[in-house]
Amino acid sequence: MLLSTEAVTAARMIGEGRLAGLIVCEDDGTPHTVLGGSQVVRFMIPEYVQEDPTLARVYGEDAAAKLVDRLSTRTVRDLLPRRQDRTALPVVDRDATTVEIAAVMARMHSPLVAVLDDEGRVSGAVTASRLLERIFTRDGDASS
Amino acid sequence: MTTTLVIVAFAAAYVLIATERIHRVAAALGGAAVMVLLGVVDAQVAFFSADTGVDWNVIFLLLGMMVIVGVLRRTGVFEWAAIWSAKKAGGRPFLILAVLVVLTAVASALLDNVTTVLLVAPVTLLVCEQIDAPPMPFLVAEVMASNIGGTATLIGDPPNIIIASRSGLGFDDFLVNLAPIASVLVVVLVGLCWLMFRSALAFRPDRVRELMALDEREAITDVPLLVRSAVVLAAVLAGFMLHQLLDVEPSIVALLGAGTLVALSRLEPADYLADVEWSTLVFFMGLFVMVGALVEVGAIADLAQWATSAIGDHYLLGSTVLLFASGLFSGVIDNIPYVATMAPLVQDVVREGHGAPGADALWWALALGADLGGNATAVGASANVVVLGIAARNGHPISFWQFTRYGVLVAGTTVVLAWVYVALRYFVLA
Repeated sequence: MLLSTEAVTAARMIGEGRLAGLIVCEDDGTPHTVLGGSQVVRFMIPEYVQEDPTLARVYGEDAAAKLVDRLSTRTVRDLLPRRQDRTALPVVDRDATTVEIAAVMARMHSPLVAVLDDEGRVSGAVTASRLLERIFTRDGDASS
Repeated sequence: MTTTLVIVAFAAAYVLIATERIHRVAAALGGAAVMVLLGVVDAQVAFFSADTGVDWNVIFLLLGMMVIVGVLRRTGVFEWAAIWSAKKAGGRPFLILAVLVVLTAVASALLDNVTTVLLVAPVTLLVCEQIDAPPMPFLVAEVMASNIGGTATLIGDPPNIIIASRSGLGFDDFLVNLAPIASVLVVVLVGLCWLMFRSALAFRPDRVRELMALDEREAITDVPLLVRSAVVLAAVLAGFMLHQLLDVEPSIVALLGAGTLVALSRLEPADYLADVEWSTLVFFMGLFVMVGALVEVGAIADLAQWATSAIGDHYLLGSTVLLFASGLFSGVIDNIPYVATMAPLVQDVVREGHGAPGADALWWALALGADLGGNATAVGASANVVVLGIAARNGHPISFWQFTRYGVLVAGTTVVLAWVYVALRYFVLA
């Protein structure tokens, strides 16, 4: 997912794939940061509803369909926090252990971490749900 | 020498508050600390003197009302009222604006201005989005209604609370003397809004359905709490109206109301204390100590003596100068430190009048000028700054000059009308 990708595309990808988030890359493909699903949702809810949560109750169910309109004309770059508030990309090596991955997720409050190959390119990602599955079943590969 | 140093320290702190070079709380506490270091203020002067110390009636009245509002806003009644009103207005933008102006003014007469706009602004943005109207005219009109409505009562605006405490004037005095002109000015504001904003408020019949689809009843989150809050608020208002008869300070009424509501609501302290603006209360305390030092060294008395001889028995002239000067000052600096400084001065001048006809009008001139002048610029009142912040965060920025362009017209018109009111009521027709 690139910074210049349309926000609607990113939101649809998260929704249809039931993903925890997406790894965002610069337009040249360099890994940049993680876009969590909650960040996308936060952008779809008006600021005034976030300030006064009581207002969320007065909408009917039909209003949910219009939430996606708030993403139109936006790109992934617009959905990210201000540059100074952005967290660095949570990354691990291909040979990272389960505890190493869990530690990175915990430290960076990220729902997923990127797995980099020896050249520094993104070769995969590990989600929190996959990590927990691995911990509880002690089965399978840590990367997904 | 000490007097000169106190005046210099006071002026320096005042400049820091006005220019916001440092946070106003730090400036007020720093100024108070300097007064202590200069040897003018000790514990007796700062904490236990009615003339020179922290005015605890003001502090606890504010605290009590903040707690009451903290409980009340959790009921969702404000959101319900705003959406219900907008639906009754049939989705017509100007009619909705007029209704919200009246609603804000009435709420602001009973609650703190900042709290009122914090409650009204988000629901206004929601209504505007439903009817596809630009939020700027609504938000500007509401903040001005809040400043005008707050003028009407003793508890509506912090300057009024300070004036009440210094003057000994009661809730009913404010209601009888200021509510009539405040009501007229709200109507005038609606008229000015028609002139300023009518071209920007086009009716979109195709969007009415979306407004009507909102279910305002869902905003009421806790009906039993709403009922209990309404009963306590009614009792508090009755207490305010009867406080002189019962010989009970308004601060005691507010604290009793707050205590009762907290006990009945069964909310957690974090909930009912969430809306207490501790920084505002501390700011007031520092300010009272600073002004108390001026009183202690006799600077206020000297100034009052000069003002008394300059005014003589020309109280109309005195009221005129005070009203317009207060309007001007309050347009560019926070009206709270201004009124905190002027109140002991006016107190001395009124006292020297020995009950002369028109002397009390000085209090109303101070209140009207200080409260209404706050509309002139984007930084004239705390509520203005808060609303501009909400507008910007929601993608509808209102610039300083954009606000000021409307503000000067509204503040200028209302201050002039207030002067006409003071001149007619207390002098020409008295």
